[in-house]
Amino acid sequence: MKNPFSLVGKNIVVTGASSGIGRQTAVICSQMGARVVLIARNNERLKETLSLMQSPENHLVYSIDLAELSGIEAAIKEAVEKMGKLHGLVNAAGISTTLPLKLISNDKLDEFFKTNVYSAVLMSRLFTKQAIVSNEGGSVIMFSSVMGIVGETGKTLYSLTKGALISAAKSMALEFASKKIRFNAISPGVVVTPMSQNAVYSQDEESLNKITALHPLGLGMPDDIANACVYLLSDASRWVTGSNLVVDGGYTAR
Amino acid sequence: METKFLEQFTELLEMEQPVKLNDIFREYENWDSLAYLSVISFVDEEYGIVIPREEFGKMKTVKDIIDFIAANS
Repeated sequence: MKNPFSLVGKNIVVTGASSGIGRQTAVICSQMGARVVLIARNNERLKETLSLMQSPENHLVYSIDLAELSGIEAAIKEAVEKMGKLHGLVNAAGISTTLPLKLISNDKLDEFFKTNVYSAVLMSRLFTKQAIVSNEGGSVIMFSSVMGIVGETGKTLYSLTKGALISAAKSMALEFASKKIRFNAISPGVVVTPMSQNAVYSQDEESLNKITALHPLGLGMPDDIANACVYLLSDASRWVTGSNLVVDGGYTAR
Repeated sequence: METKFLEQFTELLEMEQPVKLNDIFREYENWDSLAYLSVISFVDEEYGIVIPREEFGKMKTVKDIIDFIAANS
């Protein structure tokens, strides 16, 4: 029987693959049969991800800052030469903060939009080039957040960037539907990762209990999001585009 | 660092009078949960130090915050 969720024969790029959800997505994609191109800044941690993957020799690792556009383009072209055209892009790289409005500066806005929005949009632009994307089409995932849908005190800066990604996915979905390139967003609630563990709300038991209580199913694990990525990358979701898949343990159900 | 922090703290909490080292910050009229979040975020951004809630609970004066930053930087 053909498994519609299989990623066998698919080449998938994962940014932010050095830790957290990006890392787990890369690992699970490899377990589902995909060949993965891992991108992140930290070479050592990328290698660590690679060591956790199924058949490490099948995958490619590039330690590049996503802001270095020419380097990224060269790496993706090289990956296509080595493994063939691409079927999926997971834009998992991103940063988070809790910052009251009065502390938001022009520099902070620049930093967050560059890291969370510009890189995902520019990676998508690169992915959709005829020489890069598979002739059968492809699937692009934007990493949003429940903070792209609802708000929270101190989350203005993060919410701005995450909401932008949900909006971008819709217009890109329409623009590329005829080429069978699908664009979707995933909106996780709080997932236990190095990023969330560094957050203000994880620094003591009281705050952590409070944030946990906001998730009826408890805090998420990287697997929970990586599995949702597998669905959106696989042919099982071939009729899904422009959507926002909320994976939040019930955070936004209230 | 002390003088700079006092200036920044004054601006952060939008105080009419400059704050002083021995001020008990919870007695400020505009001290609330957002002020707490602002101080925590500010110290994190400016000094790269996250003050645990429990530690912050023990602090009474502005000097206590400065001392914590000095001891942890």
